[in-house]
Amino acid sequence: MTAADAVSRAAPAPAGGDRRRSGYLRYGLGRIGGAVVSLLAVLVTGFFLFRLIPGDPVKTMTGGRPVSAGQLAAYREEFGLDLPLWEQFTDYCGKALTGDLGTSYQFRAPVTEKLGEALGPTLLLTVTAFVLHTALGVLLGTRSAWHHGRTADRLHTGLALTLYSLPSFWLGLLLIVVLSVGVGPVPGLFPTGGMESGAEEGFAHVLDVAHHLVLPVVTLVAVEYGQTLLVTRSALLDEMGSDYLTTARAKGLRDDLVRRRHAVPNALLPTVTLIFVNLGRTVAGVVLVETVFSWPGLGGLFYQALSVPDLPLVQGLFLFFAAAVIILNTVADLLYPLLDPRVGR
Amino acid sequence: MSTEEQHGPGRRRPWHRALRRAAGAGIAALLLTAGLATPLDPAPRPAAAAGDGERVLTAAVAQSVDSLNPFLATRLVSTSVLRLMYEYLTDYDPGDGHPVPGLATKWTPSADKLTWTYTLRTDATWSDGRRITAEDAAWTFRTMMTDEEAATANGSFVGNFRKVSAPDPATLVVELERPQATMTALDVPIVPKHVWEKAGDLGTFGNDKAFPVVGSGPYVLTGYRADSYVRLKANPRFWRGAPKFDELVFRYYKDGDAAVAALRKGEVSFVSGLTPAQADALRGQDDIEVNDAPGRRFYALATNPGARTKDGTRFGDGHPSLLDRRVRQALFLAVDRETLVDRVFQGHAVEGAGYIPPRFGTYFWKPSAGQELRYDPGRAARLLDRAGYRKNADGRRVGKDGRPLHYRLLCHATDPNDKAVGQYLTEWWGDLGIGVELTCLDNVTDPWLAGTYDLAFDGWSVNPDPDFVLSIHTCGALPATEEDTGATDNFICDKQYDDLYARQLAEYDPGKRAELVKRLQSRLYDLGYMNVIAYPNALEAYRTDQVAKLRTMPEDGGNIYGQDGYWSWWSAEPAGTGDGPDGGGSTGAVAGVAAGVVVLGAVLVFLALRRRSTADDRE
Amino acid sequence: MTAPPASPAPAGPRALAWRRRRRAAARFWRAYRGHRAGLAGLAVLALLALAALTAPLTVGGDVASVTGAPGRPLEGPSGRFPLGTDRFGRDLLGLLVWGTRVSLLVGLLAAVLSVAIGAVVGITAGHFRGVYATVLMRVTDWFLVMPTLVLAIVLATVMSRSLGTVVLAIGITSWPTTARLVRAQTLAVEARPYIERARALGGGHGHVMLRHVLPNVMPLVLAQTTLMVSASVLAEATLAFLGLGDPAVVSWGGLLQDAREAGAVSSGDWWYLVPPGVAIAAVALAFTLCGRAVESVLNPRLGVGR
Repeated sequence: MTAADAVSRAAPAPAGGDRRRSGYLRYGLGRIGGAVVSLLAVLVTGFFLFRLIPGDPVKTMTGGRPVSAGQLAAYREEFGLDLPLWEQFTDYCGKALTGDLGTSYQFRAPVTEKLGEALGPTLLLTVTAFVLHTALGVLLGTRSAWHHGRTADRLHTGLALTLYSLPSFWLGLLLIVVLSVGVGPVPGLFPTGGMESGAEEGFAHVLDVAHHLVLPVVTLVAVEYGQTLLVTRSALLDEMGSDYLTTARAKGLRDDLVRRRHAVPNALLPTVTLIFVNLGRTVAGVVLVETVFSWPGLGGLFYQALSVPDLPLVQGLFLFFAAAVIILNTVADLLYPLLDPRVGR
Repeated sequence: MSTEEQHGPGRRRPWHRALRRAAGAGIAALLLTAGLATPLDPAPRPAAAAGDGERVLTAAVAQSVDSLNPFLATRLVSTSVLRLMYEYLTDYDPGDGHPVPGLATKWTPSADKLTWTYTLRTDATWSDGRRITAEDAAWTFRTMMTDEEAATANGSFVGNFRKVSAPDPATLVVELERPQATMTALDVPIVPKHVWEKAGDLGTFGNDKAFPVVGSGPYVLTGYRADSYVRLKANPRFWRGAPKFDELVFRYYKDGDAAVAALRKGEVSFVSGLTPAQADALRGQDDIEVNDAPGRRFYALATNPGARTKDGTRFGDGHPSLLDRRVRQALFLAVDRETLVDRVFQGHAVEGAGYIPPRFGTYFWKPSAGQELRYDPGRAARLLDRAGYRKNADGRRVGKDGRPLHYRLLCHATDPNDKAVGQYLTEWWGDLGIGVELTCLDNVTDPWLAGTYDLAFDGWSVNPDPDFVLSIHTCGALPATEEDTGATDNFICDKQYDDLYARQLAEYDPGKRAELVKRLQSRLYDLGYMNVIAYPNALEAYRTDQVAKLRTMPEDGGNIYGQDGYWSWWSAEPAGTGDGPDGGGSTGAVAGVAAGVVVLGAVLVFLALRRRSTADDRE
Repeated sequence: MTAPPASPAPAGPRALAWRRRRRAAARFWRAYRGHRAGLAGLAVLALLALAALTAPLTVGGDVASVTGAPGRPLEGPSGRFPLGTDRFGRDLLGLLVWGTRVSLLVGLLAAVLSVAIGAVVGITAGHFRGVYATVLMRVTDWFLVMPTLVLAIVLATVMSRSLGTVVLAIGITSWPTTARLVRAQTLAVEARPYIERARALGGGHGHVMLRHVLPNVMPLVLAQTTLMVSASVLAEATLAFLGLGDPAVVSWGGLLQDAREAGAVSSGDWWYLVPPGVAIAAVALAFTLCGRAVESVLNPRLGVGR
């Protein structure tokens, strides 16, 4: 995913009539329609893709324990695996649309329940990291662009690029070694993994979770903020070349006023686009960081489910990941015209 | 374009400012929490010094719990937790593993060997105060006999049961179809009937919602969060006496290194499943005791003898050359076990011999000098030549049908040892002229059950009573049809082995039975279908400043995690309070706060300077 | 006559085109030289490429043999083994050099595959428009929002563990970005008047796409490939780290996975853990720097050094 892509994507440029409202309506409906098609595609892919994974789910489920053919058949019936594929498919679609994602093979619990258990921790981690890396990226990107070419800019850009090139799992491991275990004079300040120590209650528990949150969040922010920085910076540089800014400056407006009032808000649009386009990448980051830090979230659950393979759970998680990204992207698409008058006019 | 744009941005000014303020606040909040939270969870501290005076023992586990329902749970982590929650009829002596009283104080077989009568202790109660009666045990066994779901985990124990009854609260009578030597080794958690009667469908009951969970073992389950922790409290009503620790927490670490790091810091008191490198690194640490104990496992190279059903129908596609014993033995002759123990296990294993690990002295067997297949690649090459697999011009061994010898070697992607040993085998067998394709899978169940592999890495944990690991190589364990899943390990079926197996199972005299078990192992060794490479040690470590002592099993140099019993966790004693490590802890806390403050200050100064410099730019 | 008759040279059209291209390349190089970061990236890449190509001579294939390992397992750095040994006792410096081959190869192949798919989809979607383009772009959008790693993990699980699988898994999941960029560029190119002329002169779809659009999107494709290699090297390491690589092949990601499995992180065996990570980061950074320099040379509007 590159900056240029975000820029190219930033102009969904719908066919606009004179009447602005009906133009937006058409645009909005188009986006929502597209999202629905995408969601249906995910539903179909989710079903067929995971059926490619080799392995008889029922035999795997019983873990190689001695089981009679009769009982295996009973399991197949229980999970609907004895039906022809298309019937399984319609069954799965019907259930999925009513919010029933089936029963996990390995945990013998409803998939929605497992999802619910792991969703909280993942949201906590992602949202915290997301807010921080976006804020940091936009802030430093703005400064960098404003002072572009100077040492501060070079430093910021260089650091961002370097951090962006690091494998996130490796950075996580190093942070554990240095800040968690402690090296030489550096004391181990943070827990090595997990989300809670399981013994605290009340406010102490909140602090405990926050304490566990630090390193995973730092890892995610470090590898993610660079891109936001670069895109904000380049968008702002583009914007700064615009005539109106020169005019504004010529009018004698103060520099930071020009920046804050005019350039930054316009330059934010590509950044917002990038953020939403990048949600898929965020999911990837979460899978890795959750693995390294033993975070009890969706990413770890997905990897665990895939190795069984626990089909209902894998399907459910895939559906959830994809749906979340698609829906958020659609929301973003619907918001652009409201944020930027140039779009959807 | 200009008018709209010049006005637009003006309207949005507060947004930008809010964003910046949010960023600042976020960073500050994160650093503050970091600083604040640090002293609450300082580095090494004595377990006894936990906030409210509770003595908490925390152990790291790497596996995620499959279920806390004893009828369903099969993973080691789950059965280990359940072992602490529910008492069995009999336990194993921590010394030599002989059966000792659990809920039952006395057990006697009838003269015809078909009826066993257990006398239950009268002083044992459930954690809710009710008395434990024979009816609880009878209900547990009967449920497993009648409900297929309830037989999921431990069904094999009751397969031979005809009738179970409880004539009075202290007497349990089990009638058998055939004699069964393992009646003093029934590893079945006895559950409280008055609770479980109301559990509903046992196939989906998780037993992890209503805390505390009524039990009879040394600890009571009081909390559980999937992939996070299992929390247990000491059971003051435990008949053997309450454990010394008030609380026992199993904390889940996906990553082994994170668990070791947590041990170094004192976040956890115990870690198992160390790699040799980790064990060696921990050995030099203060306050950490590394336990390098003979393991319960054997690590073997299994050969596919051609998958088949009980009635002899063949399936799968194992390489036909492996049906020739000379080929199997040649393969094993080319495996340098000494190097593997030295390099892969880095000395933390014992070179393989018989099927049962030396830790179980009663049953341990070694091949005689003439019988032993010592590492000898020359002899391996001669054996292959004699079997008709000669090297061709390219140096590859070719069968009479002109097909080169090429084997699929099945390995567990999750086991680093499999991958490492696989690379050695690939090179050794490559020198012999045999091609190897190392297939590492997360989940080997499918090719394993379908018999679609040639060679595979195999390993089992052996119980004090070896019956189970011996039973999985009998013809009776083969699946009835290709559709069934049999109890068989890798489809071995040998008449001579079966005869010996039946004789040992009906033998109630321990000495004579041990003799039969050794002959069984000799036969298995000669067959060459199951070649034991090594017995890996159990590598574990615990903090001596948190745990004063705990009982290993066997007591003399045994292991801690995954014992045949609750000895380690029940016997664990907290270390004394007040000295040494506490100071280190507060140093860590002070440093944490200081670091937080410094970083926060740096950020504020940075922001202030940036502000100043922007101001300068204006001029 | 395909090109606008810019200079009245006596040479034939082909020689003309060649001369023009040579001149463009020289111009490109002059502009590229101005980017210090880009030059640094290029230097690092040249060094690594040299290391990869000469590896059979300098370290030899035997460095990966476990039975012939020269040292004890997990030895620290010493004169004999400057970066210590791995868990088999193999020379880590040798393995690191040898691993360059796999990491670079997988990175390049995956990037080429990904960009090739992206370019084909982008050009055809930009050229044909209509229902075909709509469907294609819907698919692209769909892939764009898919969690890439999740898809790649699934693909790697479905297929056997081999280098080909890794290349395929990365290539198949990472093309949509390129497709979008190329499509935008194609639309811009096709709007130019000379395409109209070529069409009027009877140029078919194939002719227009291959002779006119492709040369014009090539610079973009080049820049995109450079950036994509960086992503692919990281993706390869990630998959290997998650245990989805081929255990018998030496790659940087595989070394990290080995190090982790051996417990190097908590044992403080930094020499096992740090070099492969640094190598991955260096390659990823070098390709990114080159890609950015190329991008900014080709598209000066994007700002100084972007």
